[in-house]
This record gives sequence, C-alpha cells and structure tokens, in this order.
Amino acid sequence: MSAVLRRPVVRDIVVVLVVVFGVGSIAMLLAHVSPLDGFGALFDGAFGTRSELAETLVQTTCLLFPALGIAIAFRAGLFNIGAEGQLILGGFAAGWLGAQFPLPGYLAIPMVLLAGALAGGVWGAIPGFLRARFGANEVIATLMLNVVAALLATYLVNGPLQQGGAGASETGTLPKAAQLPDLIADSRLTWAFVLALVIAFVLRWVLQRTVFGYELRAAGDAPEAARRAGIDLSRTAFVAMALSGALAGLGGATIVAGVLHRFNTGLSPGYGFIAIAVALVGNLDPLWIIVASFAFGVLQSGGVAMQAEAGVPRDVVSLVTGLVIIALAGRRVVAKLRST
Amino acid sequence: MTGVRRRFGAVQAVDGVDLELFPGEIHALVGENGAGKSTLAAIAYGAVKPDDGAVTSDGVVGLVHQHFKLIERLRVWENVLLNREPRRGWAIDVAAARARVDKLAAAYGLAVDPDAVVETLPVGIKQRVELLRELDREPTVLLLDEPTAALAPSEIASFFTTISALAARGTAILVVTHKLAEVIAYSRRVTVMRAGRVVARHFTSETSADAIAREMVGGEVPALAARAATVTVPLLEVRGVSARSATSVLTDASFAVRAGEIVGIAGIEGNGQTALADALAGVVPFTGELRFAGEVLRADDSPASRLQRGIRVIPQDRRHEALVLSWNVIDNVVLGRQRALARANYADAAREVIELFDVRPPDPQAIAGALSGGNQQKIVVGRTLTAQPKLVVAYQPTRGIDIGAAALVQSRLIEARNAGAGVLLISFELDEIFACADRVLVIANGTFAGEFDRANIDRGRIGALMAGHA
Repeated sequence: MSAVLRRPVVRDIVVVLVVVFGVGSIAMLLAHVSPLDGFGALFDGAFGTRSELAETLVQTTCLLFPALGIAIAFRAGLFNIGAEGQLILGGFAAGWLGAQFPLPGYLAIPMVLLAGALAGGVWGAIPGFLRARFGANEVIATLMLNVVAALLATYLVNGPLQQGGAGASETGTLPKAAQLPDLIADSRLTWAFVLALVIAFVLRWVLQRTVFGYELRAAGDAPEAARRAGIDLSRTAFVAMALSGALAGLGGATIVAGVLHRFNTGLSPGYGFIAIAVALVGNLDPLWIIVASFAFGVLQSGGVAMQAEAGVPRDVVSLVTGLVIIALAGRRVVAKLRST
Repeated sequence: MTGVRRRFGAVQAVDGVDLELFPGEIHALVGENGAGKSTLAAIAYGAVKPDDGAVTSDGVVGLVHQHFKLIERLRVWENVLLNREPRRGWAIDVAAARARVDKLAAAYGLAVDPDAVVETLPVGIKQRVELLRELDREPTVLLLDEPTAALAPSEIASFFTTISALAARGTAILVVTHKLAEVIAYSRRVTVMRAGRVVARHFTSETSADAIAREMVGGEVPALAARAATVTVPLLEVRGVSARSATSVLTDASFAVRAGEIVGIAGIEGNGQTALADALAGVVPFTGELRFAGEVLRADDSPASRLQRGIRVIPQDRRHEALVLSWNVIDNVVLGRQRALARANYADAAREVIELFDVRPPDPQAIAGALSGGNQQKIVVGRTLTAQPKLVVAYQPTRGIDIGAAALVQSRLIEARNAGAGVLLISFELDEIFACADRVLVIANGTFAGEFDRANIDRGRIGALMAGHA
C-alpha cells in the first residue's frame, strides 16, 4: 500500500483530493455553509442539466489547450508559466483579424485559429529564443511576458488597433463565417472541444512515436545525455516553447471564435495559470490531461452554481486551484530554479 | 562486528558478517562493486544501522570517504576543526585553531597550509585535509574508503607511509579498496567479501593478488579477448589542441590515433582528460587542429556532426552524460542513433546489445535506472560499439563495475580494434591501460608528458610522469 502511495501519479492525485475536499470544506465551514450542500451545489451545477454539462465541457476545452502546451514545454524540461499571456495574445490576434478581414466561411475559421496559434507561438518563442541563445531562465521570462501580453493587448485594442468603441476593451464582433459551429445546439460548446481532443491524441502520438518527440523527451529527462547524443538542446528548447505558446494561443482563438465571438481583455479568468495545475495533475501525459481538464472544468463551471445556490463564494474554487498549483508545481519550480 | 546484516530493498547488502580489527593493524577489505564493503564500513562508522548483529569499539571511529566531504570554499583549518572550533567567548579563536592544525599536521607528517582555501588545493592535499579532520578526533579505529582512488603512484606510497605510522601508534585501520597491489604491499590482514558475505580471510603474507582476485570473482578471472594483428592507418590527428571543460584544461596536446590500435591515455584524474574527451565529442570548443580521416574537424562542430563522422564517445559519467535513467533499455540503446535507425528497428538494436554484451536481466523493457552499474555500462558501451564507429573514445569505461563486466567491456574494445576501429582509452587505472593499449600516452597537467609502445612499457617511469616529474 505504502509503495503504491509513493508513486508520483498516485501521490499527486491524493494531494489534489485532499486539497480540493479538505481545504474546500474548511473554506465552506468558514463561510457557514455545510460542505455537503456546497459540494452538492458544485456538482449539480456542473452536471445537473444538459446545458450545464455543455458549459463544463466549454471550461474543459478552455483549459485543455493551454494545459497541452504547458505539458509539451515541461516534457522538454522547460517551465512555461506564460500560457496566460500566450492565450491572451492568441485571442487578440484571432479577434482582431477575424473582425478586420471578413473571409468566406471555409477560410475564415482556419485564418482565425491560425492567427491565434501564430501569435501565441511567437509569444512562446521569445522566451524560447532567449533561453536557446543566452541561457535565460524561461520561468522568469515567461512569467514577466504575461504582464507584457496583457498590457499590450489592452493597449492595442483600445489604441492603434481599436475596432469597438473607445475604452470598450474589446474588438469588433466576428462575422458569422468566422464563428466556430456549435457542437451542442443552444450552448457555448463548439467543435473546439473536438479539436482539442484530437490535438491531445496527436500530441501523445508525437511524443511517444516520433523522433521529434523522442528527442524532446530526451532533452527534458536527461539534457546532458541528450546533448552528447547529438540532440540540439537550443533548437529543442526553441521549438518546444514556440509549440507550447502556439497551443495556448490556439486556445485563446477558440475562446474568441467559439465562446465570446469577439476578443475582450477579460477573456481569461486565468486559464493559463489553472492549466499549470491541470498539466501536472495529468502527469504531463496528453491523455491524462484530458481527464484533468475535465476535473478542473467541473470546478470552474460548478463554482458559479455553488455561489448562486449554496452561497459559497466562487473564490473557494480559486483558492483550491491555487493550492493545487502550489502543492504540485512548487517543488518543480524550486528544483528548476536551483538547477539554473 | 558480529553477525552484521543489512538489507536495502530487495538486496541483502551485508549478510551476516563478522569482522575484527586489532589495534595497530592495517586491515584490507576487498570485494567487487556491490559486494557490500562500503555498507559494512558505513555500519562500522555508525552512519547505517544494521538490521541485525552487533558493533562494538573502544573509542572513536573515524571515516574518510572516497568522495571528499570537504567544504570547498572554506579554509583548511575551518574544514579540519568544523564543529570543534576552539572558542574565545562567542568568537572562534583563530590563532589557536591554526596552531592546532599546524601541530596536528606536524605530528602526522601531513604538511598543509592551514589558511589555504580548500578549492585551490590539489586532490592529494585535499585528502590530507580530510585525514587531518578525522585525526583531530583522535580515533582508535580509522576507516578509509577507496583512499587512493584520486592519488598518483608516488602520492600513494607516501599516503601509506603516513597510515603505517598511524597504525604503529596503535590505531586500527580498515582500508576498503579494489586495488590488490596496495593490499599486498601495505596490509597485514585481508578480508574478501562477495555478495554480502565474507568469503575469505588471510594474513596478507600468506596469499597473493591473483588468489584474492579469484576469491572476489568467485572463480577464474575471465581472460581478455586476443589481440589480432592489424594493419594500422592514420585516423585521428591532434595538433596543438587546447580546450577547457568545466575544471578540466587541456593545453597544446598533439598525438595521433590510428585505425586498428588502442591508444591508452594514462593519467591521474583532473589532468585534462575531460577536456580532451569533450573536445572530441564536440561538446566544448577547442583551438588547434583536429583531423579525422583526412578531414578537418571544426571547433564549432556540433556533437551530431561528430557522431555522423563515426566518432563515438563513451562518457565518464554514465548516469548523467550517457543514459536517460527513467527510460527503458530500448530507448537508451537508440540514443545517439535515433535518427539513423528506423523506428521499427529500435527493439532489434536493443536485443543485439543485450545479447552481445550479456545485459542482465535480458529485458529490453527494463528501466535503465534500475539496472546495476555494470549492466548500465554494458548498455552504453554496447550501443557505442554496435553503431560501428570509426573512432571510439572510451573514458573510464569500467569505472565502478565488477571484474567480469569490466573484462567483457575491455574485450569488446579489443575486438573493435581488431575489426579496424581506432580506440582512445582514457583511464585512471594503469592496469586497465597496460592490459588493453597498443601505445600509452601519459597526460599530466593538461599536456602530454611521454609516449610508450606496448613492448616498452616502463611502469615506474609512467608513474613518475603521471605525477608531473619530467
């Protein structure tokens, strides 16, 4: 039994359950709510009806893209804390281009999604380049670029690239042709969900079955051995970070094209950060990350119902998510900073 | 020590050992890697608790580790008196501390400058500091774990002079080692361990190095592969090459390796070998001229380009520089050939290595980190030699592996030479070099100090050159 408990995956899951239900219960008790009622409302809000389940899958999708990106970087031995910024810029590029250049349907959606992936990719490639060229620590670089991304998007959307009203902090609305088709009618769930699932499977195949994936994992698991085996660590770091950013940026584009139909500076309630916990709970394995995204999607969408019906502040969800990040990511960050 | 047992996980590291040390004797404890001798020393010292059995001693037990446990940035006296500093009120009495170290050094003939910063000292002196630290505690029993691993032949002699003097004063000394020549030359008694048990005890005067080796292995020591006559042609030319890798510096080195020969680089650790191996691997830049098979190697070549040319390096540190410990044997075997091999052939490549190199267990799915050091090394050497390299640079290829595995690795290197590969063997073990090399180059202070043909090997001269005496 103790041997099973010591396995990293199992240990992480135990940590998460203890944090979610333990700390969650304490927080609810402090708010004078029975944990039974609180969690009841949360799960009811996440699965109770068809449309609630759809909303849970929307949240799942929003987390899955950046979590896959973070996992790719992690597998290459890099800690991308910048998914939030990459997601925001991806969303902005998608929203602005989509509203600015109306294209016919079969071109509009690919353009919007590609623009998002490209913008996020560039934003991920910057710390990737700094790391590859100068050995700059990507933890610090990506963390700081989050702030730059948020402020840059706010400046662009209200300034030189303004489309909506002055001070509206959003782009114009995407034409119908650029909006992602619904997966479930009368919900916000679109084909983005399916796209995310497909990408997760493809990513797993790439990591496990291609030379590129092999070299990326080698660079992450044993950099010195990888270097001596002819693997270009600089190039791997650059490509992994660009790919990581592209996935987060694509996630931002699907929020714009599928959920909001415009870019808004408040489009992410911190998906890029929550996704760090998702990636780690999913043990950096794309298929497990699907499961982890769903679990955190439940917390996200159920949290609203919990507040409305049980009177538990939604912040309990943020609190719990934050603690999971500290518990699972903390030791990796510390190890990473020590090694550089 | 009586009936001492200790298990680590599934391994019974020490299995019912009795050992007695008498005042005034130098007692050698020998055995292969994994025989349990280091564990036994740790139990005697009190760092590891035995599962069963009793340890009794009169007085203080001291232990000098194989890998020095000194604080590099502190001074000698600070290291020697760590935690036992003479005090004056709240402050350390520095003058008294210096005097104490000076007195101690004089008493044992271990000259050191108490104010030198440890990181600036050569290994031999560091070892003195380590020894002084233990001697300050006035131990009645002193345990020495592989004490001569980093010493030059001349330093080894003076080290044992010191140790013998210590024994003459009544200290009981246990030397854990695998160097049988030293056992024969300096010990009074010898205990041989194999697989956690004591398999033989002798008065050293009544046995021989060959007999002890057979007892360590549990049978005949395997013979090396025969050397075939080869036609040698120029392969690698090194002219005035200088390079730097971490703390290792190579200065103006010139030599050649021909296809079909093994060139042995004899030297003490830390004399430029790492810089040489790394420059050939393409992981550090160099100045000077490197020519391989007639073509010039550029200073900024990538490691990949060296692999493509057929230059393959067996790195010194298999755990960090060669293997991905969390991966299985298959993925480790293809590392370095991941692009050259088709994915469908990965498993076959692993099977080939497992078979030719007798990897145990013979399971391609086994996780590399779970294998013994010897089997890990077989994977590294196996993947290197089965890639049909033109030049093999083998840096300490048998470090820390048992005699059987070492003989197998050395035989395969000789076979690669027989088949026409050039082999550069960098080793800190002279016996290994003498057993394998067609030519011996001596490296000291980052430069080459002498060259010997196999027919004219002069052990004493090589030892003197290694120590930096011209």
